Amino acid sequence: MWETVAQAVINGLLIGGIYALVSIGVTLIFGVVKIVNFAQGEFVMIGMYISFYLANQFGIDPLLSLFVTMPALFVIGVLVQHFLIRRVLGPNDMPQIFLTFALSLLLLNLALMLFTANYRTVHTSYSDEAYHIAGLYIPVAKLIAFVVAMFLSGALWVFLHTTDLGKAMRAAAQNRDVAMLMGINPDRVFCVALGIALALAGAAGSLLMPFYSAYPFVGQVFVLMAFVAVVMGTLGNVIGALIASLLMGIAESLGIQYVGADSGLLVVFGLLLLTLAFKPTGLGGKAR
Amino acid sequence: MKPHTRNLVLLAIGIVVAIALPLVVTSSFAIDIFVRILLFSFIGVAWNLMGGYAKQLSLGHAAYFGLGAYTSTILQIDFDISPWIGMVAGGVVAMLASLPIGWLCFRLRGPYFTIATIATAQALMLIVLKFRDFAWGAEGTTIPNLGSAPLMMQFESKAAYYYVVLGLLALGLVITYLIERSWMGYYLVAIGEDEDAAEAIGVNAPKIKRDIYLISSFLTALAGTFYIQYIYFIDPPTAFNFNISIEAALVSIVGGIGTLWGPVIGTVLLETTSTLLQSWLGNSIAGVQLTVYSLILMAVILWRPTGLMGMIGEMRQRRVSRKSARA
Repeated sequence: MWETVAQAVINGLLIGGIYALVSIGVTLIFGVVKIVNFAQGEFVMIGMYISFYLANQFGIDPLLSLFVTMPALFVIGVLVQHFLIRRVLGPNDMPQIFLTFALSLLLLNLALMLFTANYRTVHTSYSDEAYHIAGLYIPVAKLIAFVVAMFLSGALWVFLHTTDLGKAMRAAAQNRDVAMLMGINPDRVFCVALGIALALAGAAGSLLMPFYSAYPFVGQVFVLMAFVAVVMGTLGNVIGALIASLLMGIAESLGIQYVGADSGLLVVFGLLLLTLAFKPTGLGGKAR
Repeated sequence: MKPHTRNLVLLAIGIVVAIALPLVVTSSFAIDIFVRILLFSFIGVAWNLMGGYAKQLSLGHAAYFGLGAYTSTILQIDFDISPWIGMVAGGVVAMLASLPIGWLCFRLRGPYFTIATIATAQALMLIVLKFRDFAWGAEGTTIPNLGSAPLMMQFESKAAYYYVVLGLLALGLVITYLIERSWMGYYLVAIGEDEDAAEAIGVNAPKIKRDIYLISSFLTALAGTFYIQYIYFIDPPTAFNFNISIEAALVSIVGGIGTLWGPVIGTVLLETTSTLLQSWLGNSIAGVQLTVYSLILMAVILWRPTGLMGMIGEMRQRRVSRKSARA
């Protein structure tokens, strides 16, 4: 009995690391630029396809392609901020919500046109390997993904708390106007925030590739999870998003184990709705 | 002509054209496109009441579309009740559902409201998928074809469906027109502009938002019943299709958010584009339609956030100011 529970918790925790990379990106953009990036999942998808083609064409291991996807997505993030998001920043919600939403639709459907709806997988030497510890089954690829995800989250935390640029980003997140008065260039800070957030999404894509299929809709799974995690954790809070994501992974996994294979997402939505019902303000309620 | 008289003339011409259209154009392919245009205009009008005027940007209206569709279908197949009654029943079910959903989602504002509406609609679909005995689960079911049975909302000719959905759209437009000109319309716009300021001057925002959500979900449910009767098939991904939620918002924004005719004009543009694309490229490439839709949406947001109605208004304004400059 306890072994099934423990196994479900471990499965959830490991995938929760990936959710964390996506949610931290969403929460970082929300905290600094004050917009919700509906397209975050599509950047995970792009990361996955880059890794897939690098593996398929050049035989590059998906984990090594991290060094391609992260810089590539960073650049895309800067471009998206500079050419698109910057133009809709203001008090009006509609353009902000629907710009990134349109971007999500666009990327998803472009992928559908370019790559078709087929599932793409990469098989690595460690794809099927697993550790057996105390009757528990721990797949190597997922463990690596989890460890790297935690490392990247930690690195981001250190960056935000020790470097000047990181501190400038946190200052801009706390109070944009005062930060500008202190000589912080908001455009530059916003570009870096988008770049980092998308680089994390790209990293999630590469880390997923050894054990997960790439297909145009793949980002939707991750972005929904990230939104729930970001609403449940405190908005704009990296640590909050991280913890909520791990919990979310565990909740989903327990849902699959005990409610039904198709019900992981249902449990997660249930959690979101319960949060909204009982603790909406403390968890990001009226924040804008 | 005074602008007011001209608008009335335009409206009269529009009504005559809309009624005469299936008599002149009889190809069922064309009528099918007209039905789609009217249906999505109607869904857009229903969305626009809440999303456009009060700026509560829902992406979860598929929930009410699906509830309407499932209510009337269950009543029809299990209880032999006419979809005409089922349609109204579906609307009532949707209104009842909008109360708890609204209670939850309205606790959030801006983008997080949008996310919560997506989550509730998706959750509803997953729940219906699970109820295999009650609602046919993932396989769905076909609607028994009775041939010509107007009392069961089944017709031999496509033109009859055209008039049904035309009637729905007219209903939606009349309701919007009446609300636009009532105290409620002004309250909605005030909430849309700045909710805190509206509350500060005494607008009971939670109540107004709840009421408009009731109306909006009722109308959306009617569209759901009609659509399922039109295609003779229902399953959860059809009835709770996320694309319904997307298109409801899309046609309103492209046409002109928070305007009476915006959703109609937006639908005409988008559906025409999509039809032309399909006849040009065929149905072979998946994703073309939504790629083009998303590009149009981005263009509107970046350059014309007031949509096509805004452009028309600007053109009129320019003509008027040119005239007065000459005078």
